[in-house]
Amino acid sequence: MRKLLARRRRVRSDQAESVSRLHFRAMIYVLNIIVFAICVYTARHYWFTLNRLFGFQRHPYIDIDTADWPPVTVLVAAHNEEKVIANILEALMTVRYPADKILVIPVNDRSTDRTREIIDTFVENFPGRIRPFHRIGGKAGKAAALKDAMELVDTEVILIFDADYIPGAGLIKQLVAPFFDLEVGGVMGRVVPLNAGTNLLTRLLDLERAGGYQVDQQARMNLRLVPQHGGTVAGVRLSALREIGGWNENSLAEDTDLTYRLLLNGWKTVYQNRSECYEEVPEVWSVRVKQIMRWAKGHNQAMMTYGFRLLVGKHRATIRERIDGTLLLGVYAMAPITLVGWALALGVFYQGVAPLHGVIALLSLTAYAALGNLAAFFEIAAAARLDGTRKRISLLPFLILGFAVSIFSVSRAAVSQVTDLLTGAEFHWDKTERFRKVS
Amino acid sequence: MSPYLAVGALIFISSLMFILPLVPSLVELRSKSDALPLNVVQQNAGEIRHFADSFRSYIRALEPTMRHCSVSGSMARDILPDGEECVVLGAVDETMVFSLQQQDSAYAVVIAAVIDLIVPAGVTFSKDIYARGQFKGGENNNYRAILGEKDVHLGPSSHVIRWVHAVGKFTADLGCRLHGRISSDSLIRLQADCSFLRLNAPRIEIGRATENGAAPSPNSSLRGSRRPRRFWYDGDFEVKAGQVIPSDIVVRGNLRIRSGARICGSVKSANNIVLEDAVLVEGSLISARKMRIGHRCAVHGPVVAERELALATGVRCGTFEHPTTVSAPSIEVSEDVVVFGTLWARERGQVVTNL
Repeated sequence: MRKLLARRRRVRSDQAESVSRLHFRAMIYVLNIIVFAICVYTARHYWFTLNRLFGFQRHPYIDIDTADWPPVTVLVAAHNEEKVIANILEALMTVRYPADKILVIPVNDRSTDRTREIIDTFVENFPGRIRPFHRIGGKAGKAAALKDAMELVDTEVILIFDADYIPGAGLIKQLVAPFFDLEVGGVMGRVVPLNAGTNLLTRLLDLERAGGYQVDQQARMNLRLVPQHGGTVAGVRLSALREIGGWNENSLAEDTDLTYRLLLNGWKTVYQNRSECYEEVPEVWSVRVKQIMRWAKGHNQAMMTYGFRLLVGKHRATIRERIDGTLLLGVYAMAPITLVGWALALGVFYQGVAPLHGVIALLSLTAYAALGNLAAFFEIAAAARLDGTRKRISLLPFLILGFAVSIFSVSRAAVSQVTDLLTGAEFHWDKTERFRKVS
Repeated sequence: MSPYLAVGALIFISSLMFILPLVPSLVELRSKSDALPLNVVQQNAGEIRHFADSFRSYIRALEPTMRHCSVSGSMARDILPDGEECVVLGAVDETMVFSLQQQDSAYAVVIAAVIDLIVPAGVTFSKDIYARGQFKGGENNNYRAILGEKDVHLGPSSHVIRWVHAVGKFTADLGCRLHGRISSDSLIRLQADCSFLRLNAPRIEIGRATENGAAPSPNSSLRGSRRPRRFWYDGDFEVKAGQVIPSDIVVRGNLRIRSGARICGSVKSANNIVLEDAVLVEGSLISARKMRIGHRCAVHGPVVAERELALATGVRCGTFEHPTTVSAPSIEVSEDVVVFGTLWARERGQVVTNL
């Protein structure tokens, strides 16, 4: 009897041990997959940066300075923008584009401040050049507002600006030029922070933007991958927009949504690195956190909607566009995945198995812990060098702060997105606060 | 050593090692020495006449001296607002011409001429030249920049380092090397063996443009008010000789358009494009790689090749009413080619005798 009990105990203990071993092995496999994914993104960062530093640079449309310019509509998305709306309208009234071929439509989306009043003053001062669209109801969000404004648009080329941007005189021609290429459905210019020197946050965002545009976007353009439409300092072809079903008002990030729908329908989005436009970046961390959480949710939504179809579906995207597009969709998902990876790495470590499966695993872990971050930093340093700025590179170590805030904010966004999905809660649109003094 | 001291020293040294790499960051954060927004080209992006306009404003400070020299027919020396020395010519200055006639001589002051200016051969002008009258340069001269309020003519084998703008015609003789921006408000004409980068004028003629070489013009009855449909082909594609395509064409492979064909929309190829003779494209023509445009072809929209472009004799790009841009990193262009608008070779442009 005692022997039987002992055997049972041994069997149970063996079973528990094998279950524990199974869990442990599962942890290691998941960790290895995460490490692999991070290594892929690391390699991608290096590839982009090295291409930007040493590769062939594509700027095919920037030289088009003389042409029979097509009529263009400029949509200015504005929701409570009294601090900034006058600046962009002033700038748009002085751009170098045939005056009879450009129409500005400020899309005043349910503003409760002086936005409407300011727009109407401009309409009076520039008769025939501005056609205001005052939206007083309807669904919240930029995509919904743009969708409603489309009833006023009848030109083949549409440019979109957020109200806090200040376009230069030559920018409109530069953004219109790529549309002479029949494959181009969307165009994206470069965004440069105007309030870069305000505080540590703005300086870090300035560096991040430089890395994102000067290196990431331009490398994607060079390598014929998937430059992302940013929804501002951007353009879209009306016939392409109609073909893909117009603006998606249910999208949380209409720019990402547009990029992928264009791609799936055989249209290219191109990036114009030399078409720069000043913008205002958040000056306080709480606003930055809200902004990045909104971007993360929108991006993840696009990943769920288009990811599988992009990778394996039947459409005109090339193989490299499929792979890069999928990786781009996964960018914000990598934050919670990295956190899970860290937790697993700690768990595995405290189980007493540090090197996992030998030297390769150790190398992967080291790469994941160190190089993964360094690759992004390398990219930003390269961007600063390409921009010809020198001393701001010394702020690079502080980017770890921005990285930490981003990784937790984006992970929080992902978690809340899942819980929203389960509880059926609706997304609340947070407008990015402006910091400019009222003009 | 006391254990407290040892722990304290360890903490101190560790903190120091942690903070040391951050010192440059902290210094920059405090001093804000590189905190201004990135200086992006806002107002002058793509404006070819920017340098000429700036120079005209700059030289305006000499107006009283130029007026005086013009009336008195004399020569004067003056100083520009930034301290730059300047010679104002109200008449042909014999001493200067004599000194310039010495071979390989260099002239290192700004010249402002209120008369027609004819400069001898073999001179290097290392400062800008302003000519209110006609400008005619001798052989083998080197210029930094010229602003001509009337015609500007460069002698054979001359070099331009930065820019030339002529309100009248700009002409360059055989073998000129035009490294910067060349613009004219009426006409640019380049002779054989010239090299160029960026040219802009209502009409750019390469060699002698003949009316015999005139390319086919569009048949307006084929161009409706509606935008043409987009025809898409995934592999290599060929348009047959004499065929009329009433739509835009997008080709993922190579594209060849046979002689006499007419495309009533725009054309895009993700690879090479070859246009045989007398092809008419009413819209834009864009190749992601190389492009060759055959004899007597006409393209009315922008022409862009991402790698190389060759234009054979008799090609016409754009029209006087609808100027356009022809652009590629490397361009070879034959004589008897006319471009209305901009001809822009980002790395190398060359006039060749035959393609």
